[in-house]
Amino acid sequence: MTAHTDFPAVNRYSHAVWRRNALVWRRLIGPSLCTNVLDPLIFLFAFGYGLGAVVDQVGGMSYLSFVIPGMMCYGAMFAASFESTVSVYARFSLQRTWDAILATPVTLTELMLGEMSWAATKGLFSACCVIVVGSLWGGVASPLGALLAIPVLALGAICFACCGLVATAHAKTWDIFAYFFTFWVTPMFMFSGTFFEVGRFPLVVRIIAWALPMTHLIAVVRPLTAGVALDPWAAAGHLAYVAALAVTAFAIARYRFGARLYG
Amino acid sequence: MEGRAAAATPVIEIRELEKRYGDVHAVRGVSFAIAAGTCVGLLGPNGAGKTTIMRMIMALAEPSAGQLRLFGEAPEALGRTMRERVGLVPQEDNLDPDLSVRQNLEVYGRYFGRSAGDLATRVPRLLDFMQLAERSGAKVMQLSGGMKRRLIIARALIADPELIILDEPTTGLDPQARVLIWRRLLDLKREGKTLLLTTHYMDEAQRLCDRIIIIDGGRILDEGSPQDLIDRHVRGHVFEIAKPLPAGFTEEGLERNDVGDAVLYYANDPAEVTRRLPADATFLRRHANLEDVFLRLTGHGLRQGG
Repeated sequence: MTAHTDFPAVNRYSHAVWRRNALVWRRLIGPSLCTNVLDPLIFLFAFGYGLGAVVDQVGGMSYLSFVIPGMMCYGAMFAASFESTVSVYARFSLQRTWDAILATPVTLTELMLGEMSWAATKGLFSACCVIVVGSLWGGVASPLGALLAIPVLALGAICFACCGLVATAHAKTWDIFAYFFTFWVTPMFMFSGTFFEVGRFPLVVRIIAWALPMTHLIAVVRPLTAGVALDPWAAAGHLAYVAALAVTAFAIARYRFGARLYG
Repeated sequence: MEGRAAAATPVIEIRELEKRYGDVHAVRGVSFAIAAGTCVGLLGPNGAGKTTIMRMIMALAEPSAGQLRLFGEAPEALGRTMRERVGLVPQEDNLDPDLSVRQNLEVYGRYFGRSAGDLATRVPRLLDFMQLAERSGAKVMQLSGGMKRRLIIARALIADPELIILDEPTTGLDPQARVLIWRRLLDLKREGKTLLLTTHYMDEAQRLCDRIIIIDGGRILDEGSPQDLIDRHVRGHVFEIAKPLPAGFTEEGLERNDVGDAVLYYANDPAEVTRRLPADATFLRRHANLEDVFLRLTGHGLRQGG
């Protein structure tokens, strides 16, 4: 109930929700590891050999160094987006897991934080798989930079999870997720600088690209792993944008779920 | 014996409770109180407002008007502790399909902030109590309907609640499964738990409930012990006579209730009916029960969605 004290919410109750998801996932760790490692390998093959053969240098670095941080961010974005939409919606609507949890001392905010932190965990896991694969492939020029990129990727994954929850909070059927993937996930995949420099696109696309959190995330992660200079003020600006978007998205999702469940 | 002061505070007290969903007036001014250690049944046809009342008690829906007190306090004042003291057995199966029987209880216990050590002793005990120990490793999907209900009840007991709210605990189960659940609910009552349940089954209400509240259209029609209600609303004996009624049978002065293919007649003195019947007439005679009260008070037309 809305009147019920809802803060502080990152606590053992939200952690209990996180642990529930982790427990279920533990059984799937084999297939999950497999896809998380194979996915970037397939991309590396296709783009590294396909595009890398024609494109020598991008933005002052080898195409391999350019594309691997993009794939780290893409891994974080895709896994966190999928978990916070399709998977959360299944637990919310199909399995009624949320109903069962909301009859316990866990509050709605705690439940959402548990789901969000789990989706972010999966996103970070995907990103870390790419760091490992990319390092072995020889595409991570700065191992220290890659280490520093981990907390940055975690923030990115949190942001993508929060944004996914906004879509889920508005979902009345599964159909909305088709739009979510077409108008949110795919543009971030194509226009945020994963495979091509953002600067190559026309102005309108560039404006859209810089509104997307993915573009800001890549702008920080890429210089880190490639070991090139990164302006700390620019980095702080990018991260602040991602963080602000995360908080805003979570607040919108919380409001919307509250209205739906208790209205 | 519990202290008198504790016994005097009702576990649930609601006054003029109302709930509107848009134009739908689901609950229209319901008042009742439930004393600690009793079992109270909410009886009513589909759409009567039973589930809505339970959801408001569980703070899963906000009342549109009226007052609601749990353990003598407003639910928002109790906050999280309120949920720790109330166990909910919902109508629909919302067990966690991704987890085993045992994990369902362990994971649920964590939502109550219970430690692993506490759950290590509590979960096996609950599995034994609900006769699920042999299936503790099974997936929820592999369970029969009766086992699922038992697991949902075990889950509601994970934090040892004082009040247990059960929304149609045995709907759709076979007779054996129902009897097992009834036995466990009576055990809980004996332990001093307070039970509030909804049901369509009159035998269930008669067997378990100290007091019954009959509701329809969001209002209370009557309340009392099963026997009180029978005494008040239907006469002691019921004769069920199939249609067409025997030739020469006159029903003037008899209380009747047409149930479609037969007519029910109520009488305190069985002779009142038998003397009107031809010697070869076939009929069914029984004692009046809650079902008769229920039909009497709520009518017997089919409900929307019923």
